[in-house]
Amino acid sequence: MRPSVLVVGEAVHGQLSGPSREALNVARSLAGSEGRVTGLLIGHGLAAASAEMATLGTDRVRVVEDAALTSATCSTLAAIVRAEVEGAQVSVVLLTGSVRYRELAGRLAARWDASVATGATELSPTEGGGLRVARPVFGGRATEELDLGGPRCVVALRPHAFPPASTTAPAAPVERRASPPFPTGNAPAPKVSALESTEVTGGPSLGDATIVVSGGRGLRAPENFRLVEELAASLGAAVGASRAVTDAGWRPGSYQVGQTGRSVAPQLYVAVGISGAIQHVVGMVSSRVIVAINSDAQAPIFRVADYGIVGDLFAIVPALTKEIRKVRGLS
Amino acid sequence: MEIVVLVKPVPDAESRLRPNAGGTELDGEGIKWVLSGYDESAVEQALLLKAAVPGSSVRCISFGPAPRTEEVLRASVALGCDRATWVERPVGMPADPLLCARVLREALRKYPHDLILAGKQAGDDEEGIVPSALAELLGVESFGSVVDLRWHAEEKRFRFQCVLDSGSEKVEAAGPLLIGLQQAWNDPRTATLPNILRSRKATIDRLPWSDVAPLLGAFSAGRTTSQRFRLPPPRTGARLIDYQSPEEAAEKLVKILREEAKVFP
Repeated sequence: MRPSVLVVGEAVHGQLSGPSREALNVARSLAGSEGRVTGLLIGHGLAAASAEMATLGTDRVRVVEDAALTSATCSTLAAIVRAEVEGAQVSVVLLTGSVRYRELAGRLAARWDASVATGATELSPTEGGGLRVARPVFGGRATEELDLGGPRCVVALRPHAFPPASTTAPAAPVERRASPPFPTGNAPAPKVSALESTEVTGGPSLGDATIVVSGGRGLRAPENFRLVEELAASLGAAVGASRAVTDAGWRPGSYQVGQTGRSVAPQLYVAVGISGAIQHVVGMVSSRVIVAINSDAQAPIFRVADYGIVGDLFAIVPALTKEIRKVRGLS
Repeated sequence: MEIVVLVKPVPDAESRLRPNAGGTELDGEGIKWVLSGYDESAVEQALLLKAAVPGSSVRCISFGPAPRTEEVLRASVALGCDRATWVERPVGMPADPLLCARVLREALRKYPHDLILAGKQAGDDEEGIVPSALAELLGVESFGSVVDLRWHAEEKRFRFQCVLDSGSEKVEAAGPLLIGLQQAWNDPRTATLPNILRSRKATIDRLPWSDVAPLLGAFSAGRTTSQRFRLPPPRTGARLIDYQSPEEAAEKLVKILREEAKVFP
């Protein structure tokens, strides 16, 4: 018997997020043709996102829309998801791995006493009606396999680990739910208020990018970091840095990839002038393809990279940027 | 302000990971256990708040087996935590996140708290389940991935920044709260030698498993079972690109990335 799956999707600037499309794909392959896939969107301004969700292999789409929900707390989101799931025949709840939605996993699992996993990169049904999940641990240095059992499983997927769902016809029905009977910030003295949100502009963020280009000490001076940024721009990539760069103040700490910074796992990681200290490697080693450009042929980065260019990055990187712009029709 | 910090011992990043024969768990031999990096940031945040709000105290709590759990609690005391509580987990008992959340809820009943801090996730399993599960059990609001938490005494509110996927959000909230801290944003302090020596004699409050287990109530820990660990195939080293000119290197690399690795069209 195939499970019925609820996908809690997300809209970003009114559009369905990439990780939501990936979760819908996983949901359909779990549910097969017998199980039901329900898509759920919570927030405000969801017309375009819900219409898209309806064409991505769902059997129905539920929309809980309220202006106050744009900055809903995790506990409010959890209460809305619970209202959709409890009493319905849903055995698997899939979440995207975004910062905000991943936190739902712990809340829902605690409430339901359900089996739970986050950061899943593989997901398949087991013979006993449960799920087998694989998830990278230790900064990608190992993979843990978990079996999830019991009547309900909650799984948050790792972004970009699965292909997105493809369009199906006809579109599933979209059902709008009334403004929810939960505290949504309309109370006279809200306990929580979002004061201001800041969007990082100028390209995708490190956590969300499918390509990351990082620079290290080999760039020699802060003004040379633009070589990395130009290469990243040609690829539509996010920009990262090694600790040497952030410690030296060339770029803020938010750029740092590594054990004491962010862990990333893009499709392509390009390390420019990075020696490959273990501190850095644990934050990027689970990238699908790693390219290293470094003048030192003995640099440890070449041991973890798939492809390497040994040479002067000040000559190689501009040539690479030019070539990529050429093949992508940008110049 | 009474601040509780949840801490966890994790293998040091440079420890070699070796699954045991069946792959069911990682071989503990040769692993150096340290305070999780995210938890270091949580401890640092607690100590910054303590310094800013007169009359505050910080208690660190950990649920885990001997001897590593006691060691990271002493390390936290050496950094400046006032008190420490060790909830003993029998050696060999699986570290189920929902069990952990329930145990911590029972431990927290013993201590008044205005604020609970934790790393947003552990540095080893990277689950990030315990903080939000515990917040749900306690019925408090929670925020993960937080930096720069400050207390505004006149409004009796916390202000902090949540680091989201493509930006950040400034949030204001009244306690009690459970906050998961982002790693390494606050340059965590290191312990001084005199404080390390003093921490060795510090009293660690112990909650034996036999006292905690009866309080947990009926629930099915162990629905999530770890089957095995596998290591990625060893990377064999980069295929180095042969070239005469930078242009040739670039052309060859782009061709490989498009046609062989298929990472962009």
